[in-house]
Amino acid sequence: MKRLTGLLTILIITLGVAIYLAQNIIPPENLHPLGEYYLENSYFGEHSAKSPEVVTSILWDYRGVDTLFETAVFFLAIIGSLTIFRLNREQSEEAKQGEPKPQLPEPVVVVTKLTVAMILAVSASIALHGQLTPGGGFQGGSALAVAPLLVIAAYTKYALEKNGLDKTRAIIIRSIGLLGIALTALTPLLVSGYIMQNQPIFPGEALGVPLGGSLVLYNLFEYLAVGAGFTAVFLLLSIPEEKFKKFLGVRR
Amino acid sequence: MIELHLTILAITALIGLIASYLAITEKDLLKAVGYSAVQAIAYAIAFYLLMAPDIVLAYVAIAVGIYSALLIFIIGKTERYEVM
Repeated sequence: MKRLTGLLTILIITLGVAIYLAQNIIPPENLHPLGEYYLENSYFGEHSAKSPEVVTSILWDYRGVDTLFETAVFFLAIIGSLTIFRLNREQSEEAKQGEPKPQLPEPVVVVTKLTVAMILAVSASIALHGQLTPGGGFQGGSALAVAPLLVIAAYTKYALEKNGLDKTRAIIIRSIGLLGIALTALTPLLVSGYIMQNQPIFPGEALGVPLGGSLVLYNLFEYLAVGAGFTAVFLLLSIPEEKFKKFLGVRR
Repeated sequence: MIELHLTILAITALIGLIASYLAITEKDLLKAVGYSAVQAIAYAIAFYLLMAPDIVLAYVAIAVGIYSALLIFIIGKTERYEVM
């Protein structure tokens, strides 16, 4: 009851402020000049990124260095969590010992199988069509990370590891992704361009599909890096608490 | 037409507000994660109505899937109920 009183107070205040503000806001009539520049240039203009998707062009081309540093922040966050959960060789072997048996009823497990396949397909299409439709590497990668998460929830983490996706593999895939991003960013220097230059160094289209030059490469590598980075953290987080207490020497 | 958009936007924003208030005050932490996911869905619809599909794609995967899962892992490592 006390909770409802607080909720009602907040709702009434919010609605009052919203109704008061709504009468005093004048919507802008023109586009922001910078926005107009991006809209005109991203595909047709003189400073084109050869991509019809303006958001991806801004993310990986016009403001590419911002996104590069954003990826570096994500890299540091994942490295930080891997460092907190570091185990030696014997401990990580012991953490892999367990029964890969589903803990949920049969229908849930079957539906999970189908859903995982669909999530893989959708995430790949989000990431690899990032230069044509809304989406991109980070969005696709975070959708990809949901697939191992569902497997961990419906089966166990041991099922994932027995099928070959253990922590080391996830970290290797993630490193390939990050290395790819770094190499794509540095490639223009070879032909005396500047860092993260897109056009005219990278091909604008292939087989009639606009590739957006380097955008498709960045999206692909970011997809791998984000998806595998999240997977590595989930594999570590899903180690049962009893095992961690044993590793750390906590007695009860 | 724009009025319909704004009405749906207002409703989703209100659902998000109510869900986040319930998530903050809830003592059962698993239920609180559920409320937080409801809030995330409401905000995803709001982002869609505000014509930001790129944000929607990242937000749905992270706020509904990954964030809830992380919190459930962490609740699994501590206690389910918040103690006063």
